[in-house]
Amino acid sequence: MDFAYSEEQRMLTDSLRRLMADRWTYAQRRARQAAGVLDQGAWSNLVELGVAGLLVPEAYGGFGESPATMLAVHQELGRGLVSEPAISSAVMAVTLLSHCDNETIKQRWLTAHAEGEAVLAIAWQQEGERYALRPLGTRATAVSEGFSLDGRKVLVWHAAGSQALIVSAVLDGEMALFVVRTDASGVKIADYPTFDGSRASTVILDRVVVSKEDLIAKGGQAQDLLALALDFGVTAMCAHASGAMQYLTEITIQYLKTRKQFGQPLAAFQVLQHRLSDMLTQQEMGLSMTYVATMGLAETEAATRSRLVSMAKVEVAAAARFVGETAVQLHGGMGVTDEFEVGDYFKRLTATEFMLGDTNFHLQRMQDLGN
Amino acid sequence: MDLTWTPEERAFREEVRTFVKEKLPADLQAKAFSHHRLKRDDYLRWHRLLSDQGWGAPSWPKAFGGTGWNALQRLIFEIECFKGGAPRLVPFGLSMIGPVLIKYGTQAQKDHFLPRIIRMDDWWCQGYSEPGSGSDLASLKTTAVRAEGHYVINGQKTWTTLAHHADWMFCLARTDSSVKAQRGISMILIDMKQPGVTVRPIKTLDGGSEVNEVWLENVQAPLENLVGEENNGWTYAKFLLGHERSELAILKSLAERTMASGDSLSLDSRVRDSINRIEAQVLALEMMVLRVAADESSEPGPKASILKIRGSELQMELARLQMQVAGPDALPYDPEWMFAESDFHGPGAAYSPAAGAGYFDMRKTAIYGGTNEVQKGIIAKQIIGV
Repeated sequence: MDFAYSEEQRMLTDSLRRLMADRWTYAQRRARQAAGVLDQGAWSNLVELGVAGLLVPEAYGGFGESPATMLAVHQELGRGLVSEPAISSAVMAVTLLSHCDNETIKQRWLTAHAEGEAVLAIAWQQEGERYALRPLGTRATAVSEGFSLDGRKVLVWHAAGSQALIVSAVLDGEMALFVVRTDASGVKIADYPTFDGSRASTVILDRVVVSKEDLIAKGGQAQDLLALALDFGVTAMCAHASGAMQYLTEITIQYLKTRKQFGQPLAAFQVLQHRLSDMLTQQEMGLSMTYVATMGLAETEAATRSRLVSMAKVEVAAAARFVGETAVQLHGGMGVTDEFEVGDYFKRLTATEFMLGDTNFHLQRMQDLGN
Repeated sequence: MDLTWTPEERAFREEVRTFVKEKLPADLQAKAFSHHRLKRDDYLRWHRLLSDQGWGAPSWPKAFGGTGWNALQRLIFEIECFKGGAPRLVPFGLSMIGPVLIKYGTQAQKDHFLPRIIRMDDWWCQGYSEPGSGSDLASLKTTAVRAEGHYVINGQKTWTTLAHHADWMFCLARTDSSVKAQRGISMILIDMKQPGVTVRPIKTLDGGSEVNEVWLENVQAPLENLVGEENNGWTYAKFLLGHERSELAILKSLAERTMASGDSLSLDSRVRDSINRIEAQVLALEMMVLRVAADESSEPGPKASILKIRGSELQMELARLQMQVAGPDALPYDPEWMFAESDFHGPGAAYSPAAGAGYFDMRKTAIYGGTNEVQKGIIAKQIIGV
């Protein structure tokens, strides 16, 4: 085992950190959030540094990088609080398509993704079903042109700004996955902001017709692909949270050193020193669990892999909550305004719990997958 | 010791419950139960209904136009009002400056201001915190200088809750810079509707803006607007902070509302356990409030700090649990959805967006009124005696 970054990984993370410092400042992030649409310039910046092609196999024009590189990259993106579809599309959709057997889809969408010409979103959640993976309520039926899809998906992360959706639906009593173009007739996207400065949508599918070639997979294979995409997404999100925790701890230390109360810097108070120590402890445990998840992605046994990833999600979400809440508390009044970046980091870290399965979902999954 | 409610206490509870049921306007109740934001006029409408009933100042002695209720009656009143979905009573006049004027005000101040507080003809705000002086009030920098029969006040206040609604501010200012920090501070009543007063809203984590920055530039107040003796403001400030802490502790109604709105559809035993657990914790806090309230003789001391810490912890935990219950539906959030006339179009129940907003907003309770760290320091000092 070797925890040191390779030469390439170091160069890549250095470049990303510079990019974050240049283009993902507090003011720039806020401006892009206010605009409410995917900023093509910002996305291009990420594409240029290889974020979009990172996990795309070399055969389709990507870099075919390992989960370890993914960890390193998404940690930097988390430090910069990236709100662009780096996880939903570049990790989850790419992983799902890379592992499917449909060569037409792979040629069409993976290549475009690596080049930055296509963004994809996965529509898997149903209204009132929390994080259930079964696509109850979304139906696919065979028609002469291919398939017709009907249903309603919620919380589709970055659906607006995507060229295509990967939709889970019930076909002949089992799960099937389809590629659906967002401009297809019958697709309606209602976009809304999320509390952490990102965006999601409710997607309504009303007799949307796709061709036979748009079927990605069905049955057990579809379930495996969705689980794999979820596991990669969760791991990238853990890395993102680890980077965000790191940055938040750094700015909190700075704040305590400069803010004076009762005639001395806040950093001089032992009770606050201990809370900083607790933040660092949680942050390091969270990062360690992110490594566990990353190792888990290489497991050949899907159940073993998913169980390790779920464990990581539970621990990282707890660490993220602790670090976020404590950073706000240590910033005092400044922490509860919407006018400093501590609040932005706190909200993103809070979202860690609610995206891609909450703690109860992942504890249940650990239980179901056994030992 | 008798741990049962008396027939009189039960009858009183019934009287309040009936009043709220009959008099509380339906639109106010709807706003309360869906966590929509209240407007200035919403508070006023409810307050005047109470005032017409003779209940405009529940915690004041009869001699000053209050109800003369004892502590348990006041608590029953608050719980029933919250349960019924009534707006909270705006505390700045009734709970903060009112009791100070009753105890330390001049006869003229009492005659003029107290009836206006009961009718809510004046909306008050609290001018304590300053940009460089949060937990450490003794370091405040706003000055009040005597000149030709009045004070001239200069400085900047911050975290001033609902200052944009206010007609008057009770303001802590430094009147003597030659003495020890906390001895040179006085409390002065300032008319907010005059040139030199600038109010700027501060946006908070929930996207709302209930708190403000207030600039005071050559603002004037007549000398008779000094409360109590000059340079003794520190004592009053501590007295007030004790009250704010007690106010915070009234939580049970909120707990019940959270549970009533919980989506039981997909709750598993993990969530149910947390809700059962906090119900027990809220009961413990409520009994603590009853014990403190029943002992009217005691000054706010370590118990007030305990109530503040525990009250804020439970308020934060309740908000977090509510978000946990909303689950994925808590993620979509637009601050516009917090208004009754909003065009909410996220997934899930209409209360879902408020769950996240509530969680972010409630973090303030561990910070304002003296941070929980400061409270723990106060408790430690009193029990160790240093």
